[in-house]
Amino acid sequence: MDLHLWAKAGFITTPDGNSIHVWGLTDQAGGPARVPAPLLILRQGEAVTVNLTNLLPEPVSLLFPGQQGVEALPEGGAWEPVRPQHEGGLLTSLAQAAPPGGSVSYRFTPQRPGTFLYESGSNPPVQVPMGLAGAVVIRPADYDPVSNRTAYGAGTGTEYDREYLLMTGEIDPDMHLAVQEGRPVDFAAYRPRYWTLNGRCAPDTMLPDDVAVLPSQPYGAMIMAEPGERVLIRYVGGSTANHPLHPHGNHARLVAVDGHLLRNGTADLSHKRFTVLVGAGQTYDSLFDWTGLGYTPSNPIPTVIPNVRNLAVGDAGWTMWSGTAYLGQKGDLPIGVVSYNEMGEYHFMLHSHEEPQLTNWGEFPGGLMTMLAIFPPGSLGPEVGRLGHGGGM
Amino acid sequence: MRHDVRYGATDGSVQMPDGTRHYTFGFADLTGVPENRIFSRRGEATLLGPLLEVTEGDDLYLTMTNIGLPGRPDLDDSHTIHFHGFPNQIPLYDGVPELSLSVPVGRDFTYYFKPRDPGTYMYHCHFEPVEHIQMGMIGPVIVRPALERDPAYAGRRFVYNDPAAEFDREFFVFLTELDPDVHANIEGVQEFDWTEYRPQYYLINGRAYPDTIRRNGVPALRQQPYSARIRANAGDRVLLRFVNLGFEQHAMQILGIPFRVVGLDAQAVRGAGGEDLTHLRDIVYIGAGQTVDALVDAPAPGSYPFFNRGYHKLANAGQWPGGMLTEVRVYPPGGLDPQAHPNG
Repeated sequence: MDLHLWAKAGFITTPDGNSIHVWGLTDQAGGPARVPAPLLILRQGEAVTVNLTNLLPEPVSLLFPGQQGVEALPEGGAWEPVRPQHEGGLLTSLAQAAPPGGSVSYRFTPQRPGTFLYESGSNPPVQVPMGLAGAVVIRPADYDPVSNRTAYGAGTGTEYDREYLLMTGEIDPDMHLAVQEGRPVDFAAYRPRYWTLNGRCAPDTMLPDDVAVLPSQPYGAMIMAEPGERVLIRYVGGSTANHPLHPHGNHARLVAVDGHLLRNGTADLSHKRFTVLVGAGQTYDSLFDWTGLGYTPSNPIPTVIPNVRNLAVGDAGWTMWSGTAYLGQKGDLPIGVVSYNEMGEYHFMLHSHEEPQLTNWGEFPGGLMTMLAIFPPGSLGPEVGRLGHGGGM
Repeated sequence: MRHDVRYGATDGSVQMPDGTRHYTFGFADLTGVPENRIFSRRGEATLLGPLLEVTEGDDLYLTMTNIGLPGRPDLDDSHTIHFHGFPNQIPLYDGVPELSLSVPVGRDFTYYFKPRDPGTYMYHCHFEPVEHIQMGMIGPVIVRPALERDPAYAGRRFVYNDPAAEFDREFFVFLTELDPDVHANIEGVQEFDWTEYRPQYYLINGRAYPDTIRRNGVPALRQQPYSARIRANAGDRVLLRFVNLGFEQHAMQILGIPFRVVGLDAQAVRGAGGEDLTHLRDIVYIGAGQTVDALVDAPAPGSYPFFNRGYHKLANAGQWPGGMLTEVRVYPPGGLDPQAHPNG
C-alpha cells in the first residue's frame, strides 16, 4: 500500500467558539489539516509505504512506535533504517525528517495486529500537541470484515460486533498561539485549557464523523451499540498526558495493551475495569458489552418514578433521556425540555475522571467526554461502529 | 435482604489541621430521621458521605432528599447519586442529570440497586460533577460477597467469593484533594476556572495528617467522622479498600509492608479463564475513578508510616508534615478486639 500525507497548518474549533491554530496531516492533496491525523488501517504482513510532504515551516518526521524494521527514504537519499538525527552531537529529530517544502518516505511491514500511534518525531513536545499524531489500526492477517472480525485474530477471544477508537488530546491555547505567531514556546508554562477525544471537545464529540462544520476534526467519538453486542473500544493516549477513562454502564474487559494481547502462553491475563488509566503514548483495547438487568414494562423496575415535573429534567434546556426506565420506550417529559433521545435508547457517559478535564476552559460540560448509547435491539445498521469513516484510509 | 437508606444532600464545612475551615457540599445520613426533623440536618453534610455497605444480592433502596444549601441559599442546584462502577446500570438509576433525572431542592428520588459483583466502589453526585465532587458529595461503597452468608463460612469475612480472599480487618482508604480557592469561591458566589485547579490539602477519608490518625467520630471533627489510621494485631490479615475520587493520580506506600493486590475496580484479579493474577506491590498506584483491594499482613507490633510517595502531597498548604499521611499501628496478638465495622 502506498499512502500520501501532507503536513500543514490549519484551524480547529472548540464548542465555546474558540479557533485554535493546529498542525495536522491530511491524506488529500489540498485538503484541510486533520486533527487527529488520518487513521491508518493496515493489515498484518502487508507492506506499506507512507510518503510525507511537509508544508510546515520546520522539519517534520513520522515515528511508527511498535512497528519493526521501519525504513526511511530522505530527500535525495536511499532507503535506510529509520534512526535518530543529530547535529553537533545533539539530537535534532527522532527520525529522518522532511525539510520545509520537502518530503520523506517511510516503509515497513506490520508484524502484529493491534492499536498503535504514529506521530511526529521532530520537535515532538511542540509538534505532537499541535496535532501531528494519529492512530494506526493493524488488522490481523486472517481478518475478514464479515466472517472473521477480530482485533487479534481467530482464537484470541477478541471477536467484536462494533468497533470504535478514542484518542485523547490536550490543548494549551497559549502554546498554539505562540506557534501561530512564530514566538518561542515555553514548556514550563504549558497548561492545557481544553481536552479532546478524537480532536473534538464535548459536546462536539457526540457529532457524527465528517460533519461539515468541523472540516479539520472529521472523527466523531460517539459510541453506539445494542444490548449484548461486543463493542471493541480502542483507547489511544494521543498527546502528552495520562487520562483515567471511565465508561458508565458497565466494566470493560481489557484485552490488549500497546498492541500486545494480554496473554502469557495459554494464561489469559485480560481483566475487567471500570476506569482505564491510559498513559501518554499507550493504547488499550477493551471489550465492552451491556446486557442490562432485564427491566421491561412487563418486568418493571421496583420503584415508582415521581411526577417528573417535580424533579429536574434537562436543567440546561435539553436532555438525552427518553422519559422512561425502559429501553426502546419514550415517556412524557416536562414541557420546554428538548429531548435528543431518538428511540428510547439509553445514554451513558464516557469521560475522564480527572473532572477538571470535563470543561472547555473551565466551563462544564465539555472536554474529554462523550456518550455511549445502547439502542433497542435491531435498530442499528451494520454500518454503525465501523472504522474507516472520517476520511480514514 | 432489603435495605432502606436515606441520604440528604446539603452543605457543611470541614476543618484542616492548620485551623482553616472550608465550605463543602455533601451528604448527611437521614435514615430513620422523622420526616418533620429532616430539615434539622441542613448544613450537616459529612466528608466522606455515609459508608454504603450491602451484600451481593441485597435490595438497596436509596432515597436521596435534596434539603438545600443553607450556606448558599441562592444556589438551587439539583443533586444525584451516581453508583460509580455499578454493572449493567440503567440511566434512571445512574444519576447523570443530562441522561435522566436529578433532584431539586425539597424533593426526593429513590434509586434501586441490587448489587451482583462484590468489591469496593464509590458513589458521588454527578450534577456538574467537577464542582460537586470537589465540594465533597462523595462516599465509599462496600459490596460484601454472598460467601459470607454461606453457613459453612459463618462469621468469617472475604473480599470476593473466594475462600482464599479472607481477611480479619478492613479499612477504606479514600483519597481526595482539596483546593481551598474552589471552596472559597463557591462560598463567596464566585465563578471558578477549573483549569486553574491547584489542591493544597491531600486527604485520606476526608482528613489531612495529623487528623488522619485521630479516632473515628472525634467531636472536633464533627463533619469528618472517618479515621484513617489502620489498626491491627500482629498476624492479622488486613484488607485496604483504596478509592481515588480526587482529580489526580496517587501512589500509596506503607514503609515495610507489601500489598497483595486482589481486586481492581470491584473485580477479583483473575483472568478470563480464572487465572490467579493477584500480585505483590510496594506501592498502590491508582488513577482517579479507580478502586484497588489490597491485602496486607500485619507484621511485628509497632507503628508503620502509610503515605503518598508523591512527597509534595504530605503537606497542608505547603507545610510538612500533613496531607496523605497516616500510620499502620500493629498491636501484640490479642491486643485489639475483633473489628465490629469497617475502619473500626
